[in-house]
Amino acid sequence: MDAETTREQELFDAAMAIANAAERDAFLDRACDGDPDLRVRVSKLLAAHTHTEGFFQECLSDFATAVREMPPMADGDSTQRLSEELVGTSVGRYKLLKTLGEGGCGVVYLAEQEEPVRRRVALKVIKLGMDTQSVIARFDAERQALALMDHPNIAKVLDAGATETGRPYFVMELVDGVKITNYCDDHNLPTLVRLNLFVQVCQAIQHAHQKGVLHRDIKPSNILVAFHDGAPVPKVIDFGIAKAIEGRLTDETAFTSDGQLIGTPAYMSPEQADMSSMDVDTRSDIYSLGVLLYELLTSRTPFDQKKLVQSGIDQLRRTLREEEPPRPSLMLTTLKSTELTVVAAQRCIEPVKLIRSLKGELDWIVMKVLEKDRRRRYETANALAMDIRRYLNDEPVLACPPRRIYRLQKLASRNKVVFASGLIVLMTLLAGLGVSTRFYFKERKERIEQARLRQIAEQARADELQLQNVVDAREKVTQAGVLVSHGDMEQADALVDAIPANLFSPSTEATSVFRALGDWNTLNGRWQKAANRYAVVVQVNQVDRGELNSVATTDLLFAEPLLIEAGDVAGYERTRKTAMARLAGTPYAGAAEQLLKTSLLLPADESIMKMMPRLELLVVDSMKHYDPKANDNSWILATWRCFALALLEYRRSNFTASLDWLDKCSTYPDQTPSCVASVHILRSMNLFQLGDMTRAETELTTGQDMVDTHFLNKLEMGDNKTGRLGGWIMARIFLREARSLSGASSDVGD
Amino acid sequence: MARESAGQTLQATALVHEAWLRLFNGKTSVWQNRAHFYASAALAMRRILIERARRKMSLKRGERTEHVSIEDVDVAQTLPDERVLLIDEALQQLQKKDAELARVVILKFFGGLTNVEVAEILGVTDRTVQNKWVFAKAWLLESIRETASPVI
Repeated sequence: MDAETTREQELFDAAMAIANAAERDAFLDRACDGDPDLRVRVSKLLAAHTHTEGFFQECLSDFATAVREMPPMADGDSTQRLSEELVGTSVGRYKLLKTLGEGGCGVVYLAEQEEPVRRRVALKVIKLGMDTQSVIARFDAERQALALMDHPNIAKVLDAGATETGRPYFVMELVDGVKITNYCDDHNLPTLVRLNLFVQVCQAIQHAHQKGVLHRDIKPSNILVAFHDGAPVPKVIDFGIAKAIEGRLTDETAFTSDGQLIGTPAYMSPEQADMSSMDVDTRSDIYSLGVLLYELLTSRTPFDQKKLVQSGIDQLRRTLREEEPPRPSLMLTTLKSTELTVVAAQRCIEPVKLIRSLKGELDWIVMKVLEKDRRRRYETANALAMDIRRYLNDEPVLACPPRRIYRLQKLASRNKVVFASGLIVLMTLLAGLGVSTRFYFKERKERIEQARLRQIAEQARADELQLQNVVDAREKVTQAGVLVSHGDMEQADALVDAIPANLFSPSTEATSVFRALGDWNTLNGRWQKAANRYAVVVQVNQVDRGELNSVATTDLLFAEPLLIEAGDVAGYERTRKTAMARLAGTPYAGAAEQLLKTSLLLPADESIMKMMPRLELLVVDSMKHYDPKANDNSWILATWRCFALALLEYRRSNFTASLDWLDKCSTYPDQTPSCVASVHILRSMNLFQLGDMTRAETELTTGQDMVDTHFLNKLEMGDNKTGRLGGWIMARIFLREARSLSGASSDVGD
Repeated sequence: MARESAGQTLQATALVHEAWLRLFNGKTSVWQNRAHFYASAALAMRRILIERARRKMSLKRGERTEHVSIEDVDVAQTLPDERVLLIDEALQQLQKKDAELARVVILKFFGGLTNVEVAEILGVTDRTVQNKWVFAKAWLLESIRETASPVI
């Protein structure tokens, strides 16, 4: 905190308490006696105060404008504006022709694609303010699987991207059709026809599940019925989109501020509604199919959508998890008679007959799909479809506990003539056996298929988790970046502390955040943490193609000394080996010098030493350009290069050659203090080796004094004048080695 | 003086909500506590407003040739986006001088928090927050006046 500002505020507060202007002036005169500048400052602040009200008031209305111009959350007006705004413009390579419709989370446009083929497509712009990058990343992760889907009842998702304003969009095969429930009701389709359409939907979902794709948002508006060669064909749309934007559905934010739920709770499986679980598999889609079936049969959903939404998130979860919905036939009996008449008329049947037709098998099938415990549902969409086919063929369905009487009833209705004959008993037994055997094989086949599907789903889940972690890491880095830019290093540091390094994809954002946090930890003397942060930087640099430039080696100037300071010698060994292996081919003298220096902080083995000559050549060659008498900045580089060469000779035990380089180093004008200290220390090491103990001790003392003094003060990153912190840390590492040579008992602080 | 009408707070809260959604994609787990959340949200808000203002300013460039005039408190003539940028610039100055004053501004101005809430987060009394807020506003306005080039 700035003492000056504190004093200003004290006076400001005190003056504010004095209402009378003359008294206030007198007070300030007295209080600021001898400090006219302070007097002026405080008066100005007091004058400014009278205008703050208006100014900041204005700002708040600016904010309100900003709110109105922001991407809308779920509000009709702004959606309207969004759709009007975009018609006529181009999004990516698609030209938007008109609005087709609006859903809970987006607006769908009719669009025209010109390249590579000219065709019409549906383009859906997601209107929620969500992280476009993660949406697209999640979509990309599934692109491969989506491309594998090829089914007449599935509308292909062709492309995804971001609009200029940063909203995610999806491009789909254009389906010219209407919502399946509307289609059925508008055409007064009888139950049997509805069931036939539904079976086709099941087959589409089965196909997707076999390719490892879940839909996650099956509901009537995602199933359109179009005419193909005169026949109605249901098409499932929006595959892969729910997954890409799912962040919204698995969080409390599914409720917007006005309590509206994003997503379609009436179609959510209990495990989907349980926001905490990421564990959604093929059986959740099957549940949603069950709700669709329910609605096709009764024109109602098992739980009333409105009531669900109004009940609030907790009650909603409880309902879906615990409450048993009424059987379809029972649901119809609870309707008002006028409502029931409409529902029945839409199915070309009398109300009583409709209820009777649902009772029994259809009730059972529906209730089996809507089981709370997913292990008790049909495990595949195909199993559901097959059971409906059985119903349509008048065969016994699986959806009820196997009861003898029921089976015999079925048999009787199919084999009336046989029953009439005298051989009935035997025939019945034989037929019954045949049916059972067939069921056995069918079931076995299904079970094997189910196991396979579950495996696919589990793999997909594992991929998704990894992806989620990467996205999480990226988000945390972004967030840390914001905190760093506002100087809140402590929070930023805590945020990234727990993320494993392998989750970072190369980005300048990540490196700069981690570099800043590494520096901050260094300044606070937290060597281990600093080393960890720089380890991430080094790792990310490795993935980066541009690593041969000096950025990578400059980061090593911190990363490697920090490892040694943190006591992680093994880590240092690993890092210097990797660094040498990857970077020793650098064509730059500067990078060569940095690599050479950082790789020789501790004595090195043969594998490192034998890579040195190439680097040495580059550095020696560059030295020719330095003229000790020239008065420019290049001497800073020259001194450090001399030092690096001296260090190399020392590691080779060429002590006199090392001393020669050190002497040359001292001829340059105006050196960096950290370099001077290092030169003294390395010189003492050479002298110890040559047996000149007296001079060695003198050099060592000089070097040690410089280093100790520097570390006594508050640490700063430093510059060419004061010496950069990385250089000082290196000097201290050499100092430790020198002291061990002198045999002195006193230690270097850490 | 402490005019914190419900309307203003609501607006700011709506903004923060949106900011929160955009920056964190609704993942609440990253916050250690409520205070942490508010601070992050306020920072996000600040960033969004600044970015938006910058973007709009760069779009407007060329359309408008006059310069910013803060002379004689004629702040009403400043455009909204300029105002946001000016405040942010001043806020950065304040941050160097007194980090806590800056925090009060960020939480109250960009975070839409009440004095009581800020007090809770900073561990001071709400009276202190009010004093700091009044002083910081005066300081910011004065700083804006000083730095803005007086052009007619």
